[in-house]
Amino acid sequence: MRLTRLMSLVGAALAANVLTAPAGAATLNVVTAGDQNMADYVRDYLGPKFQKDNPGVTINVFGTGPGDAGSQKIFEKLEAQQKASTATYDIDVAVVHQKMGGQMVEAGMLEPYRGKIATGKLVSRDTAVNALGVNVDGYVMPMFHSQTALAYNSDLVKSPPKSYNELKSWVQAHPKQFGYNGIKNGMSGVSFVVGWIYAYGGNADKLMKGPYDKAVEASWDKAFADLKEFNKNVTFTPGNAGTMDMLNRGEIAIGPVWVDMFYTWMADGKLPPSVKLLLPEPGMPGQPMFYVIPNKAASKDLAMKFVELATSPAVQAEGIVKRFNWYPGIDAEHLKGSLDQAVWNKLFDDVSPQDLAKKGQPFPIVPYFSAITEGYEKKVSN
Amino acid sequence: MTFRTRVLPLVLTLPALVVVAVLFLVPLGYSLLSAFEETETGEFGFGNFAKSFEFYGWDMLFTVIITGLATLLIGALSIAIGGYLVLGGHPRLVAAMRWLYRWPLFIPFIVAAQCMRTFLAKNGIMNNLLVTAGVIEPLSAQSFLDWRGILFTFVWKQTAFAALLVSGAMASLDPATIEAARNLGAGKLRVLVEIIVPQVRVTVAVGMILSLVTILSVLSVPLMVGTGSPTMLTVDMAFRINSYGDYGVANALGFLTYLLAATVAWFYLRRGVSTGGTP
Repeated sequence: MRLTRLMSLVGAALAANVLTAPAGAATLNVVTAGDQNMADYVRDYLGPKFQKDNPGVTINVFGTGPGDAGSQKIFEKLEAQQKASTATYDIDVAVVHQKMGGQMVEAGMLEPYRGKIATGKLVSRDTAVNALGVNVDGYVMPMFHSQTALAYNSDLVKSPPKSYNELKSWVQAHPKQFGYNGIKNGMSGVSFVVGWIYAYGGNADKLMKGPYDKAVEASWDKAFADLKEFNKNVTFTPGNAGTMDMLNRGEIAIGPVWVDMFYTWMADGKLPPSVKLLLPEPGMPGQPMFYVIPNKAASKDLAMKFVELATSPAVQAEGIVKRFNWYPGIDAEHLKGSLDQAVWNKLFDDVSPQDLAKKGQPFPIVPYFSAITEGYEKKVSN
Repeated sequence: MTFRTRVLPLVLTLPALVVVAVLFLVPLGYSLLSAFEETETGEFGFGNFAKSFEFYGWDMLFTVIITGLATLLIGALSIAIGGYLVLGGHPRLVAAMRWLYRWPLFIPFIVAAQCMRTFLAKNGIMNNLLVTAGVIEPLSAQSFLDWRGILFTFVWKQTAFAALLVSGAMASLDPATIEAARNLGAGKLRVLVEIIVPQVRVTVAVGMILSLVTILSVLSVPLMVGTGSPTMLTVDMAFRINSYGDYGVANALGFLTYLLAATVAWFYLRRGVSTGGTP
């Protein structure tokens, strides 16, 4: 007991020397939204790696749960500390969803750190600048990018529908063979609905880039009415995982899924190899998750070193692409040297980088996003 | 004397009262206030309620029907289980039943919901068993992952609780009343309906009320087993908060749920008062 304490003191002193950081800053609190695998990723992979370079640093990892709810909890904790005017916040690094990244920047709780870390210039995609209409330039580093697509069972569907239009007629010809999870049971369903509005609502570009104009919402009525009609021939699934379960059991033949989840299940043997992916015309949305650092983080310097490691090409290749089948957060070209070709090919097996560039869309800006889900609640599912 | 009879009891219950006040009454007050505070303008009014009815009117009806139906089924099943344990058939079967029926008590809702997802699916375990047994044709198999799945899960989980209360009450009845009826030639069913149930009806009601209030508060089951719409109000509340950060409408839905729970809680409390505080 005494020995370990002594060792951690020595470690802290060492760390203090190396980092020229205050000795008390040898604890790093990392809070992550998302499924359990996100917390595991930091605890089992990133954390030990960081501790190897920074001996004596204690890393506490907390997972706040999947979906926007997980990000919301992090926001509420920081907001409480902000309102109480606490001198330092007890979150050093947070992993949050795109929408929350913007909300946190607007609330003035984040540190603009991207320019201060070496990996900051490895990101050029506009998701690091624009988070659903909010300018987050400098405040965030993408941890990874995730994408939704249609998964289909190639044994049952020989010529899969390649666009929303083709899907519409396919569903008429094959009732109940397409399944999705509505909008309240997970984001893959939300994504499908957003893609629908992009395809049929008109003016998709404005929805993604703004500015917000309430009048635009009125032009979606026909799209919603069509979706309501479309839903009559659809099987509803219980959640993101529920859609894949039903694909696996052959209860549905096509459904929208997250690409990373798809590859992970495939690697675990929970989906038959006959299930494949495609990105329909005109496209479906995807989103990054962000590393953010609160502006009153107690261990800000350590936090920046941590994010620097997490967004380095080696970690992005090994951890993000190879382990989790996510698309990298930093630009893909920087990963070439750190990744063998086979892994790279596997990730882009069904959906090519060109497809992704052309048909991988961002989610709409927040007011349109809310208007789409509310419109669905009111006009489609009500 | 006055200290011991008046002040001391107050001092002794103070910690419990403080906990109730801080952890329950204060959040409840906040949530009630927020239900009447309009999200966009910040003014007080009924806007959140108007929106609740406009968006979630069907879900309210759905919630009332599902909880009501589940509660009735739970009441009927708990009487059946309790009656079987008291009136018995084969002693081994009674022992097996006594051992088996409590199991769902130890399984959390979220675990039950996860199990039901694979059990009730179209090509799930239940249908596979039925097909293997020749009860249904493979083509006529259908998914129960909808309102039926929600109902099934609630009844499966909550019946154990109600049956525990009811069978306890039945076991503590004076056996002479049952024997007298049997001696006069009453059948088992008649004994159950006419002799036992009237004597334990308060306990049955309590089991049903507590089950109803529990069911109203469960998020995991409708979220994991239910599909599409309508759905239950807990799902809508979670959705309002997580997707829109809209606590106003979520709390308005919560307020309506309190009203629903409060009407049945009223009977529960009134009975508690009339029997001198025993639950």
